[in-house]
Amino acid sequence: MLEFRSVSFGFDDVGVLDSVSLSIPDGEFVVFAGANGSGKTTLLRHCNGLLDPDEGTVLVDGTPVEDDVIGARTSVGMVFQHPRDQFVAATVGDDVAFGPANLGLERTEIDRRVAEALEAVNLRGREDERIERLSGGEQSRVAIAGALAMEPTHLVLDEPFTGLDEPARRSVMDRLEALAADGTGILLATHDLRDVLALADRVIAMADGRVVVDDSPERALEGLDGLPVRVPRARADLEEQC
Amino acid sequence: MATEQNDVELVDGDVVHAFARAALLATLLGAVAPIAIPIPFSPAPITLQVLFVFLAGLLLGPLWGTVSILLYLAAGAIGLPVFAGMAGGLGVLVGDSAGYLWSYPLAACLIGLFVHRGTDLRDPAEISTALVVVALVTATVLIYGMGVGYMAWLLELELWEAITVGALWFVPGELLKIAAAVAIVESGRIDTV
Amino acid sequence: MLTYEPGETVVHDLDPRSKLAVQIGFAATALAHTAPRALLGLSVVTAVVLALARVPLLRTLYAYRFALVILAVGPLVAAATLGPPWIDLEAGLATALASYRVLLILLVSAAYVRTTPVRESRAAIQRTIPGKPGQLLGIGVALVFRFLPVVQSDLRTIRDASAARLGTERSARERATTIGLLGLSRTFDRADRLSLALRARCFSWNPTLPALAFSRRDAPVLGIAVALLLTAFL
Repeated sequence: MLEFRSVSFGFDDVGVLDSVSLSIPDGEFVVFAGANGSGKTTLLRHCNGLLDPDEGTVLVDGTPVEDDVIGARTSVGMVFQHPRDQFVAATVGDDVAFGPANLGLERTEIDRRVAEALEAVNLRGREDERIERLSGGEQSRVAIAGALAMEPTHLVLDEPFTGLDEPARRSVMDRLEALAADGTGILLATHDLRDVLALADRVIAMADGRVVVDDSPERALEGLDGLPVRVPRARADLEEQC
Repeated sequence: MATEQNDVELVDGDVVHAFARAALLATLLGAVAPIAIPIPFSPAPITLQVLFVFLAGLLLGPLWGTVSILLYLAAGAIGLPVFAGMAGGLGVLVGDSAGYLWSYPLAACLIGLFVHRGTDLRDPAEISTALVVVALVTATVLIYGMGVGYMAWLLELELWEAITVGALWFVPGELLKIAAAVAIVESGRIDTV
Repeated sequence: MLTYEPGETVVHDLDPRSKLAVQIGFAATALAHTAPRALLGLSVVTAVVLALARVPLLRTLYAYRFALVILAVGPLVAAATLGPPWIDLEAGLATALASYRVLLILLVSAAYVRTTPVRESRAAIQRTIPGKPGQLLGIGVALVFRFLPVVQSDLRTIRDASAARLGTERSARERATTIGLLGLSRTFDRADRLSLALRARCFSWNPTLPALAFSRRDAPVLGIAVALLLTAFL
């Protein structure tokens, strides 16, 4: 369970927050919509203590983030916009092992987690490949595996589709769908709502640091009109898929 | 949210930030090794490595600037192709150009101390040009002093012979790099850590 | 370019720390001696190392071509004198011998580069250098390895773009400034994003260290390293 209690935050280049309160149960697939600067990136970076609120509290499973930063970063895995800049090792296996190694786990446990995380993103057996030689979609999936190796309850993805072509985007979506089906909570920030609404349990739209829409995908669409997000296709997709 | 890993000691956020910049500046230092710019009046084209040694001291300061260059040397020592001519290996760090390479961390540290007067960094765009130039000239003298001195000892050359082989041709290039470094910090387009 | 290549040689199987020790021992003794007899002995050691590691000699010499130019020019400069007899053979020979040992040092280190993956070198650093410096150095070289192709492609883009926009006519100072400024701002942008990812993934001072273990065959190699080091004091 992630909880935001009256969280405010100012003066950051990625947007401000104005007294945001939210609670997100485990296993929920939440899509965050909103333009650049609406505050969604700022909000998400509070989930694992990358940013600390000026006012209010963020709780992960009932514990304030600042009381257990390591716990928050383990429970909430985070994948950022540019996968190329998130890797710390040149090969797939070494990179995915970075997080669990930082937790001081036994070598056999690290190996098990790397294998499982790569399995979850359809990259099992590719441990020794150079990341730089992978396609954009594969790099995104390695970044996701790096977060999954921490065995988080929630996975936060901030604009993960930027720069991906359609098949690569599909391959990432497909993996997110599988993770959600296995019970991992997904928090997906995107300004491009094509086909993600069909997977979502809930849509939260932000503008000027405030939550302006928080509803089921079907009903949220009404409120999304007038916000600078890409909905027309999404609406067509939704009608098609629901 | 029970954590079993209570003894995990996280690296402080500010340290991570400075370290990431130091590591990627070290990478940049290695990546420019193959880039040579021809200059007039000299048979030796310039390489930009010393420019980034200057910038390490100016923008990362005496501590992280030095760390950055040490990372560069360590990466080359284990064989990454980051030294001149895209060579690597521990041997290079005792070879003919070793004096130059080992002078780099000292030069970055010296520039950092000169310009920032400590590990709390000042905005280099607001520091007087004269001070920056003095720091860079002093660092250049240090680099060539160590480079030429070691070469003379290693190859059993007279000092003036070593200066002929290892310094004379490069003086115009060094002046140019000092000018470029000053222009870059005064542009104010790059913030310090 | 000289880089690691997977292989089955005995040198590949050695612990990287043993190989580093041999290099240090070899370099120490080579820096201490320039007598022809000593150089002959060092040449034999070098030949054995290169053969065991299957290092291709010509490619390696080419990789070190920048150093070779200095090592070749050095003796000529040393031999040349202003005024009669114009050539001082003795000084030239002394420098030639001194240069030759540097070549041997470079070749021995090439054997390490060729047989040791970066992953093992990183493990050796983190296990040899204690505490925070070892952790920063180990992760740092891994990052340089990871980001080298990324930054190289950034630099190519910058050079292509500035050549297309402004041509190659601009002064060398302007070109240096452009490459420096754009290269640095792109690199620092990447570093700032990387630092977020490092924090999100719990970058810590005390991680589980990468696996590395001496085996029985490292013992004689470490013995050789010590022996080489001791000969430096002969």
